[in-house]
Amino acid sequence: MTISTEFVAGVIAGGILGWIVDHVFGTKPWGLIILLMLGFVAGVYNVMRVSGFTGARPGRRDRQEP
Amino acid sequence: MAVTIDPIHQFELKPLVSLGHIGHQQLAFTQSALYMFAAVGVIALITIVATASRSIVPGRMQSLAEIFYEFIADTVHQATGDGGKRFMPLVFSLFMFVLILNLFGMIPYAFAVTSHLIITFGLAALVISTVVIFGVMKHGTHFFGLFVPSGVPKPLLAILVPIEVISFISRPISLSVRLFANMLAGHIAMKIFAFFVVQLLLAGAWSVLSPLPLFLTIALTALEFLVAALQAYVFATLTAIYLNDALHPGH
Repeated sequence: MTISTEFVAGVIAGGILGWIVDHVFGTKPWGLIILLMLGFVAGVYNVMRVSGFTGARPGRRDRQEP
Repeated sequence: MAVTIDPIHQFELKPLVSLGHIGHQQLAFTQSALYMFAAVGVIALITIVATASRSIVPGRMQSLAEIFYEFIADTVHQATGDGGKRFMPLVFSLFMFVLILNLFGMIPYAFAVTSHLIITFGLAALVISTVVIFGVMKHGTHFFGLFVPSGVPKPLLAILVPIEVISFISRPISLSVRLFANMLAGHIAMKIFAFFVVQLLLAGAWSVLSPLPLFLTIALTALEFLVAALQAYVFATLTAIYLNDALHPGH
């Protein structure tokens, strides 16, 4: 549940950001499409970071090299 | 015989005192606000009244307050190092507030305030705005180096920086949704399994099976106590980790 939340949050954040970009710049479908895809990537990235796949959270002191 | 189940009825807001209107939206003092005031009262009781005597050999309540304090102080120190001491009051308040509200939700017939997304998102927004405002105040534009991973070829940055920005924006969302979803799902699951007991009891010969969901409900209740404490701890830990980014940005 904890890890799936990280993924969903990335997608939602990308979607919201894309929707805002479309509204501000009037680029109707493209901002949402591109940022939603980037949101998926960010979600996967979040999951990898939480599950320790990339070593450690960036900026954390107890960084371990894989 | 028909017994209806309404597992989300428990999350309904009931206005206690109306405070007037803004447009068509009623402003009301709900039972949610009442529980929050009660939580603050309990926390004040634990932390202020219990430690008032300041005895060297602590009594029951004083050692309870000391356990909470040292637990959070350790968490904050581990995540942020020495510079994080100034955020100790923020993390401690958030932890106690979430923990007491989660535990209030476990009292039968009580209302679980943290099962409302807007409450948890409010707390998460507080955390993230603290991170951004403090980070910009302390490090200026250097704070935005947080979004630029080190040791990456220049052309890749064009893709990685937007991903890092989205990943940062997703933090308050995941922080709030995690707490909200755990509390909501747990309370709904308890309600439904408890309802199975009633339903089986009314099902004639099948009522022999009714102890099974009863045991499951008891197990779920224990699990929910664990979740209530664990989610408060997770919230506090992640707050400390995010505050660490404000203290030491850059990779």
